[in-house]
Amino acid sequence: MSRSIPAGPGPEAGQGRGAFGPPAADLAGSLPGAGDTGTGLLPDSDTPWREAWRRFFRNPLAVAGLLVLLLFVGVAVAAPWIAPYPPEQIDLLNVDAPPSPQHPLGTDSIGRDIFSRLIYGSRVSLLVGFTVAAGAVVIGVVVGAIAGYFGGWVDTVLMRIIDVMLSFPVLFLNILVLAIFGGHFRYLILVLVLTSWMGVARLVRGQFLQLREMQYVEAARAIGTPAWEIMFNHLLRNSTAPIIVNATLMVGGAILAESALSFLGLGVQPPQTSWGQMLNNAQQYMLTNPMLAVYPGACIFLTVLAVNFVGDGLRDAFDPRHRVRPRRLRLLAAAFGRGTVGTGGAARPAFVAARRPAAKGGHGR
Amino acid sequence: MTEYLVRRFLQSLLVLFLVSVVTFALIHLAPGGPVQIFLEPGLSPAAAQQQIKNLGLDRPIPIQYLDWLGDLLRGDLGYTFKGHIPVGQIVWPTFKNTVILMTTAWVLTLLIAIPWGIYNSTRPYGLSDTCAALIGYAGFAMPAFWLGIILQETFALKLGWFPLSNMYTYGQEGDVLDLLHHMVLPVTTLVLINLAAYLKYARSSMLEVLGQDYIRTARAKGVPERCVVFRHALRNAMIPIITILGLDLPFIVSGAALTEAVFNWPGMGQLFVQMAYSREYQVLMAITLIVTVVVVLGNLLADILYAVVDPRVRLGGKGVETA
Repeated sequence: MSRSIPAGPGPEAGQGRGAFGPPAADLAGSLPGAGDTGTGLLPDSDTPWREAWRRFFRNPLAVAGLLVLLLFVGVAVAAPWIAPYPPEQIDLLNVDAPPSPQHPLGTDSIGRDIFSRLIYGSRVSLLVGFTVAAGAVVIGVVVGAIAGYFGGWVDTVLMRIIDVMLSFPVLFLNILVLAIFGGHFRYLILVLVLTSWMGVARLVRGQFLQLREMQYVEAARAIGTPAWEIMFNHLLRNSTAPIIVNATLMVGGAILAESALSFLGLGVQPPQTSWGQMLNNAQQYMLTNPMLAVYPGACIFLTVLAVNFVGDGLRDAFDPRHRVRPRRLRLLAAAFGRGTVGTGGAARPAFVAARRPAAKGGHGR
Repeated sequence: MTEYLVRRFLQSLLVLFLVSVVTFALIHLAPGGPVQIFLEPGLSPAAAQQQIKNLGLDRPIPIQYLDWLGDLLRGDLGYTFKGHIPVGQIVWPTFKNTVILMTTAWVLTLLIAIPWGIYNSTRPYGLSDTCAALIGYAGFAMPAFWLGIILQETFALKLGWFPLSNMYTYGQEGDVLDLLHHMVLPVTTLVLINLAAYLKYARSSMLEVLGQDYIRTARAKGVPERCVVFRHALRNAMIPIITILGLDLPFIVSGAALTEAVFNWPGMGQLFVQMAYSREYQVLMAITLIVTVVVVLGNLLADILYAVVDPRVRLGGKGVETA
């Protein structure tokens, strides 16, 4: 695109914004979306990323979610310095102690400091959440990209594999694998990754199918750009936004899944601790120490809530159809979204199955 | 249509076959295989070998699989290693218990969520809608088992209104009133958690329809609002909702493993966890298969319902797009 002459790079670039340049050049430069917007010629338009960034920070719920999430991440990273006691330290003289200055949230039935255990527990939950989401995105992107770009029988085979994967009773499969191979952190992450990449793969495939028909891709192909370069530079880059949104919502799903499996005694094993595992213990001591069950669950709830707020905020920020609503209504708008295909499913691995997209857009097939 | 159904049926069989192969392989890949756990400690090596041979576990895995498959086709799910009990005898009662719990919870969820979601779509951002939004946030972020524990602590331990766990009071098995009393807390847990998703779908699919041109036309020509909502909008809004119901059907058999664990409900999910620990792989295979059958049926049902309620959709002979 041509760039108007007065707004060229240089110290005066900012002052050139109101000036009338050569008419033809200026017209070309001021078309929406055209030209280099970094020169200050178009003060109101911005790169889509920066625009999304701004929208995200105008959404109070998303920002609150981000802050809470950052707080938890900070706690997890700094656990050894924050926690008053090592998480496995047993104090048999202070069993089931009520909150006190020594033990801010009291102790559990064998005298371990609950506050310290919560702090250390955040490490497992967050690590599992982010690792699983990252792993699932990597697998999902690779599979989806190959299926969407090459199409044909490759696509058919990969989609059939995904269909079979989606027919697996996921929770049962996870239980089975962890019971057989032994509950271990590594297996937990592995099994969660292997059972949660399908949503991303479908999403990426859909994006690629759409984008590969675009003219700029055709142009790239015409000048002989290699396939992998088209996939990465042209198709994947333009699919980043929905992938990020999906990945964020997957973090919450993974945290919930970890807590569920650890609650069943199949995930993280003692002496290592996680929030879900603390709940597994807590139920045995419901009579003597009911608060034991409240704290870890509240931590899971808060974290997943924060992650979901961030995910919803990102979705709205990236969505060009998103209209800025009056302030008061933002909370509701964020709560319901528009039921956008492909995002809602990720956070609910169990029963809102990932085949949801079939419910929409299938008309006429 | 017939051709489509036949093809889908064959596909479903293939899916079932693959799922069973993978599950079987997983069980036998385990370090030690299913063997170790069943041998009584202190058995002499020779006697142990004999027992392995008796159980047929010394043969190559593919042969064992084919053996299992052959039995299955003859309607034989096999026997447990411990006690040599027919698997069906263990699984079906728990299956029944799970279905009792989940069907109640599911139907109740739908009865609340769909009318409420529709109501909210006619008054978006009102008070009722705000409440629903809060439930939505909570339902998507809360671990179901935690909610169960909290309900237990509050309503069973502190207030003593409902029994803490189990399906019947000891000695009162089969008493319907006792069963209902025991069901209150687990059903409440499941309804509260699952309400969020259905509320959201009912509301958003209604809102999407209500924003369309033909609705505006109907309003403009003076159709009463009640008629617009229930006759014009609802019919189309039900299409995605009905499809989702089909897809969520498996939820009835698989959705309650955690709630069952919390409330010690003698269901299939809990059985699966116990049997996974003791590696009763015949039972594990049976449960996995039952759940997969329901998943496959649910998917098929969703596709058929979709075609039934939406006359624009034709289930053609050519490959149906898998979204």
